[in-house]
Amino acid sequence: MIPPHLPTPAGESVDTLIDTLLAEQRRLTAVDSFSRRHDSEVPLLERHYRDLIPLTAPRPGEQYAFEVDLDRCSGCKGCVTACHALNGLDDDESWRDVGVLFGETVIPRAAGSAPGNQVLSVQRTVTTACHHCVEPACLLGCPVLAYEKDPSTGIVRHLDDQCIGCSYCVMKCPYEVPRYSARRGIVRKCDLCHGRLAEGEAPACVQACPNEAIRVTTVSTAWVRVEFRTPSKPGKWLPDSPDPSITLPTTRYITRAPEATLRAADHSQPKPQPAHWPLILLLVGTQAGIGGLALAAGMAWTRGTPGSNSDAGIFRLAVIAMAFLAAGLAGSVAHLGQPRKAWRVWLGWRTSWLSREAIALNAFAGAAATAAALIGLRTFPYWILSETPVGRSLIQLPPALWSIPLWGLAVAAVFAQTRVYSDTGRWCWRDAVTAPRFFGTMISLGCWLGLVLLGPISALLQSALLTGVIVANGIKLALELRAASGAGGSDLHPDESRRTVEFLSGTFRIPHAIRLLIGGLAGIVVPLGMLTGQGPAVTDASGSALVPMMALVCLGGEILERWLFFRTASPNRMPGMP
Amino acid sequence: MNSDSSQPPPVPADRPENTLFRQWSGPLTSDLVRTPGAFGLGQVPARLKPDAVTTAVCGYCSTGCGLNIHLKNGEAINVSADPNYPVNLGMACPKGWEVLTPLDSPDRATTPLLRNPTTGRMEPVSWSVAMDIFVTRMRGVQERHGLHSIAYLSTGQICTEEMALLGALFKFGMGGLHGDSNTRQCMATAHVAYKQSFGFDAPPYSYADFEESDVLVFVGANPCIAHPILWQRVLRNPHHPEIIVLDPRRTETAVNATLHLALAPKSDLTLLYGIAAALISRGALDRSFIEAHTEGFEAFATFVAEFTPERACAAARITRADFDRCVELIARGRRVSFWWTMGVNQGHESTRTAQALINLALMTGNIGRPGTGANSITGQCNAMGSRLYANATSLLGGRDFVDANHRQQVATALNMDPALVPDRPSWAYDQIIDGIESGAIRGLWVIATNSSHSWIDGGRFDRLLDKLDFLVVQDLYHTTDTAKRADLILPAAGWGEKEGTLINSERRIGRVKKVRRAPGVALSDFAIFQLIAAAWGRGPQFAEWSSPEAAFQILKRLSAGQPCDITGIQDYQHIDRCGGIQWPWKTPTVDTSTRTTPSDPAVERRLFEDGQFHTPNGRARFLYDPPRPVAEPTDDAYPFVLLTGRGSSAQWHTNTRTAKSAILRKLYPTEAYVEVHPDDARRLGIQAHGKVSVTSRRGTLEVNAFITRTVQPGQVFLPMHYDGVNRLTAGSFDPHSRQPSYKFCAVRIAPAGRS
Repeated sequence: MIPPHLPTPAGESVDTLIDTLLAEQRRLTAVDSFSRRHDSEVPLLERHYRDLIPLTAPRPGEQYAFEVDLDRCSGCKGCVTACHALNGLDDDESWRDVGVLFGETVIPRAAGSAPGNQVLSVQRTVTTACHHCVEPACLLGCPVLAYEKDPSTGIVRHLDDQCIGCSYCVMKCPYEVPRYSARRGIVRKCDLCHGRLAEGEAPACVQACPNEAIRVTTVSTAWVRVEFRTPSKPGKWLPDSPDPSITLPTTRYITRAPEATLRAADHSQPKPQPAHWPLILLLVGTQAGIGGLALAAGMAWTRGTPGSNSDAGIFRLAVIAMAFLAAGLAGSVAHLGQPRKAWRVWLGWRTSWLSREAIALNAFAGAAATAAALIGLRTFPYWILSETPVGRSLIQLPPALWSIPLWGLAVAAVFAQTRVYSDTGRWCWRDAVTAPRFFGTMISLGCWLGLVLLGPISALLQSALLTGVIVANGIKLALELRAASGAGGSDLHPDESRRTVEFLSGTFRIPHAIRLLIGGLAGIVVPLGMLTGQGPAVTDASGSALVPMMALVCLGGEILERWLFFRTASPNRMPGMP
Repeated sequence: MNSDSSQPPPVPADRPENTLFRQWSGPLTSDLVRTPGAFGLGQVPARLKPDAVTTAVCGYCSTGCGLNIHLKNGEAINVSADPNYPVNLGMACPKGWEVLTPLDSPDRATTPLLRNPTTGRMEPVSWSVAMDIFVTRMRGVQERHGLHSIAYLSTGQICTEEMALLGALFKFGMGGLHGDSNTRQCMATAHVAYKQSFGFDAPPYSYADFEESDVLVFVGANPCIAHPILWQRVLRNPHHPEIIVLDPRRTETAVNATLHLALAPKSDLTLLYGIAAALISRGALDRSFIEAHTEGFEAFATFVAEFTPERACAAARITRADFDRCVELIARGRRVSFWWTMGVNQGHESTRTAQALINLALMTGNIGRPGTGANSITGQCNAMGSRLYANATSLLGGRDFVDANHRQQVATALNMDPALVPDRPSWAYDQIIDGIESGAIRGLWVIATNSSHSWIDGGRFDRLLDKLDFLVVQDLYHTTDTAKRADLILPAAGWGEKEGTLINSERRIGRVKKVRRAPGVALSDFAIFQLIAAAWGRGPQFAEWSSPEAAFQILKRLSAGQPCDITGIQDYQHIDRCGGIQWPWKTPTVDTSTRTTPSDPAVERRLFEDGQFHTPNGRARFLYDPPRPVAEPTDDAYPFVLLTGRGSSAQWHTNTRTAKSAILRKLYPTEAYVEVHPDDARRLGIQAHGKVSVTSRRGTLEVNAFITRTVQPGQVFLPMHYDGVNRLTAGSFDPHSRQPSYKFCAVRIAPAGRS
């Protein structure tokens, strides 16, 4: 209904007014007319929070801690935004989070009134930040010593410029406290406003709580240890939340609500975890590479004539396995937020399994490169080097001298990888599950690499490799089926076990089914057929095409298995929202 | 001129020197360094250290918290709660802490936008063109369909000066008659209830009353979530008060109460009459107050006699023990205060319900004393300004259009011909919508509200927009549901980008200041109204409205002689200096002997301490009517009662502004959810967190199920902030206040896919 051509603009006086109003709109006058000119250095809120922070610094054996009175919290969530504003956090960054616990109180009805008891809902908002744990998992897991626990205050601080952005602390912390910022390439976390406390000011959240529900106290670290680590008396911390014995959190939650019935609002709503593609690449790539190289090292014991076909096959295996290893290692560096600082990764070796994994993997990679070179010398004896005395002696070097250390490093590396995950305290990543998975991948893919790359091999070796594939996959699939059935779910970890079952039978039932199908077919049925002679033999023309195909399918199955490993690992979290 | 880049990054004082292997400091670390912020702030982020600080009241809800605005080069860079402000004493809810963030949203309207009729797209135009279109098309509508065929729907979210200019311009300048605002959805009931009972819309309390009561009765109010700072005041009460909550839901506030009556939805009027009857039969009355300061009590006593405890308990579906305890607490309390919010206001007989509370306060003498009162907690930041100065259903200054004296007073104050003042009030919001349907309204101007989301029976509203010849939306964002339908969008400056005043629940006038530059050529609503006045050819008539502060002087003049007299407030500086000033504040008599400046008002003042009300005979009235059934009771096809209300303190109404903040978005479930009782969920096969369809006679909404005992069997609750909630609600209205009933309509629920 508007004419396509615009009408003539308004009159001149209106145009002048527009200019005047636009100029006025851009003029900021608050400073000139109303800004507060007094320059008080004393925080005006001091009178409010005076009683909410300790009068004195912690004594030896004590540390600062948050104390949250759940009954005083009305659920306004001002603490989250105050922390955000007063600490100058990024737009979507929060160091404090809120969730809700819902429960029930049963009130017996008065005599003479309606029969039965009255069931009333109870709800408590849970505000949560860093718990400045007595044994901070973030700190213990950090490969570059980017955390420190202040010896006098106990505050766990993050060294932002030391961080390499590996995010292992994100995985380690049961409370999801450190948060990775892709923009910055590092994690950041609550520092209990250490600088404010040092000056007698309250942390931002304490300052901002209208109901005085958050305070800072001093706690005895020994008391925390006794409270949460006494096996006979599992200490109460917060209902429907992570197991406090893992890190010994110092925050105390106080409530008179009947804790037994309190459940997180998102209790039955498991949150799929990130897939961590670089880690999938790292784990599957390095494990395949380690398996292949370990096999190549073993094959070197067979000592064929230098330059023989079998040596060429071994070298081929070593080179391709090296490529897998290198791809995996590249994945590990690629996922860092600060790859240029990656060289510091060994610094945390005293406590961090990630440091240890990095050391073991790099040592293995060095040893494997040497081994591959030695195999190469045997494969191509007419190389100039092999004509020299040094070359000749290298060729003659007994394989045991280098292959046994290589095997040792292989086991160490995969063991460290296992510990990296089991050390997070997650039930579904415990050693008993993770070690067979990781070593199984190493064996299965190592054997497949051998079958594909070694060329013509003896029937015995062929059977041995096929058996390796079958056994490794058999164990892996049995464990995966067991996890999906919920069997073996510990009484101590019913929720984690239940969530895994729910994921595998719900959200992820299709990837899980595909994974089982692939693993069963390419990892067990077809190799079993080859082994028993029911199917095409490995050396048959059809078999030679089938082997690389099955190897690739099995690799796909391993990637899918690892994807599910990350996606379904739903540990107990702090209570969330509906 | 930014000198910061030349300064070395701040280094934390307590960290060792960097080594090859460990870096305790560096650019990433310095981002988080805090430093003393001066101005009484304590430590602040070093990179956000202010060079000046000013104060302003928050622009979300009616609590009216004072905020410290941290300024750098005159521009706001951060916000914190103001410890010196008497309302909030240094506290704020998440919305207040995040009040600046929505201003930076990329979907701000930065220039006027006009719909191209060929492409249907919105295209940028200059203000000059926009004004020409506005005037030409609005006038065109008036020429074709009559002067009263244009209407506006405004808001409780803009400044009083802006509301007053809009109301004056539209009615005295543009010749329009029908304008209303979203305060109809929020406070119309309280306005009418007070006006009828007290003779003037005068909420009698001060927030100090929260701290001085020994019994607090909250009806249809959830301050823990909706007004967290007021709950703070409750927790500061040193008298260990009894807290009675009347609410069908077991809200956060109900959980914290000492007695929660989970009454059946919309049984409130019957229950309150039952309580009144029980108090009368106990003799728990303040006879001397009733006789000296009220009228109509005996008839009221006779009327409520039939509301026996049995009848009240049966209607409310509560136990007799709980009923008796409630009556006992009110009877025994020495300072009983009654507080209500939307659970009362948004009902089909809400005015009488609010007056049932007023009656309780009057008959027990719980008014005009510390810790007492029948107290409506307002919704929007300037609903109270709207009630006095919107010039919609009430004439400027809380007057009546039908009263010739009032029209004359306004004409005198504005120095204009009294014939310009209409002799009848506007249509209310729902009547304007009906007018669109009937064709009486053809041009609509929507200002700072998102009716497509918030108006009851939203599907109908959206369909009716098609019938308009011309729809103008004036808003911060070009992306609201309503703005997407507009022919013309006028880009408005937001809170913090303009000057003005807001009036909070306790009648405190507070300041809004310009501490940010509006994006593009967005203008303050005040400036837009000035422009329209000029473009309409009414520039000279509104010449005195030259700035918000000049307009404030007009508002003072308009208040003279009214119960809301603010002639004693000098200017904006005075408001600032006093930490806000509650109305009334008349010109104090100057001490001529000493020639001293008159003193500033006391920080907290309540009304009716002398027992004198604003009715002609000075007596408060007992007003009542028999309860009526709801418009849409549940039945076999739609067996559930749908309740709607606030979801969290981090969401504001249609979530237009609050959804712009990434940090606020973390504080509520991102997907809509419905609260369902476990018994109903079990019976219907609804899984926890599974998808559920909620269907009313008007629409269907698919949401997540949240199974919880906060609702009772047969009831479901939807937070109002999510899209589509009001496609379900049913348009029924209180006959006195014409406020929509958002708290009751019939729905059915089923797991999604099955219905």
